Amino acid sequence: MTEETTMSSKDLDHDLRYEISDKVGAKSLLKCIQCGVCSSGCTVSEFIDLQPHRVVASLLLGLKDVILSSNAIWTCSLCHRCTERCPKGVDYSFILALIRNLAVKEGKNIPEEYTGTINVICENGFVVPYTGGLRTNIDRRRDRLGLPRIEPPNLEEIKFIINETGIGNLIKKPVKEDEK
Amino acid sequence: MMEYALFLGCTIPLKMPHFEYAFREVANILGYKFREMQGASCCPDPVSTQSLNVDTWMTIAARNISLAEKMGLDIISVCSGCFETLKTVHVLLEEDNAAFERVNSVLKKIDYEYKGISKVYHFVELFSQDEMLEKIKSAVKIPLDSLNVAVHYGCHLIRPSKILDVDDPERPYKMDSILEALGAKSVAFAAKLECCGFCARLNEDIGFKLVEDKMTELNDLETDVDVMIGVCPACVSQYDRKERLLSRKTGKELDIPILYLAELMAIAFGIDTEKLSLNQRSVKPTKLIEKLKV
Repeated sequence: MTEETTMSSKDLDHDLRYEISDKVGAKSLLKCIQCGVCSSGCTVSEFIDLQPHRVVASLLLGLKDVILSSNAIWTCSLCHRCTERCPKGVDYSFILALIRNLAVKEGKNIPEEYTGTINVICENGFVVPYTGGLRTNIDRRRDRLGLPRIEPPNLEEIKFIINETGIGNLIKKPVKEDEK
Repeated sequence: MMEYALFLGCTIPLKMPHFEYAFREVANILGYKFREMQGASCCPDPVSTQSLNVDTWMTIAARNISLAEKMGLDIISVCSGCFETLKTVHVLLEEDNAAFERVNSVLKKIDYEYKGISKVYHFVELFSQDEMLEKIKSAVKIPLDSLNVAVHYGCHLIRPSKILDVDDPERPYKMDSILEALGAKSVAFAAKLECCGFCARLNEDIGFKLVEDKMTELNDLETDVDVMIGVCPACVSQYDRKERLLSRKTGKELDIPILYLAELMAIAFGIDTEKLSLNQRSVKPTKLIEKLKV
């Protein structure tokens, strides 16, 4: 059963829809006709508490808290069937990524699986740890197959990009020797 | 000249180098030449980096693509995740001038420039071209006529087609055409285009359900399926690992092995299978090894 709630217009975020549709790749948001094709083909539909077309409706209405507190935003399997099938060209899976960006910006429950990955990239240049003994093992395995040596990126450049694009705050500072 | 900048990504070179070995051997036989992309980083991954900040994701990807631009080459990708990131960013930056400027203003400070001139390809796209299918046919030393193969396309090779533009999104055929060139039979099944669930990282039940559904259907088919193939390391590892766990959990005998497409090509091309570590999978391709005597 859906619970009925009444909200006052002043509780809505009237700019939300433009904030998202302003972004690269999300311009189509305002064209949604609420047909529900996205929800009918959604891989994770039985695992989420707000179906894709309802997320879009909430976005258009400015129900920011409803969206940000839904498990739909972090449960997506990125199968892109919603985007593929939308008759109006709305790129829902990308819009969902932008909503996750918004949640990150507002510091709202960001899952550790996600922040963990950017830390691994920051420390290794790759999503797989490639330092110390792990690196030796990987190199040995590659040598046995006759594969070329890996030339990792300059990590300072990767860190610079992460900082400069605004998510440096998600990087855990390595503990310095004298602080231990 | 079939020369490309080879973008390896992370998972294949660091965790599954036998996939890379198979790919390089196969591509070499088909006449491809590669330049290594030294200093390339994670693509970065389309799940977490994109979710945290689209600009971070686009800028790191643009840095990677710019390495190929400096070589004057197009990019070939061996992983669907990398392919999705690099191709999507390429398309987004083509469409959006403001984002293009923003990305370049960051890159400029570390002496890089993204121009948008290198194209991004997944190897399936290139291997399935008509003249290449002919080459594949003539390179086969061990025909796979006796094999029934299930094809797993995986989401990030074919969707969204408006951006990735590789194959028909609802009736893809390019991986099937490569398989047919190898002599194998591709079996028809309902869950062929279903997602593997690897990217639904917060809820393992999703992956378990999707793997169970697909593998149960394949097990129940009248045709005996010898192997499933994929072109994305995430999909391949997802099925290999979860199938075994599911068999233990549910008591069902789910034992269809999954291989990376280039591995099956390598087997058909008569490449030494010892280096492919076929016996180190959770689900060993026993039937295939027996049938082909490799």
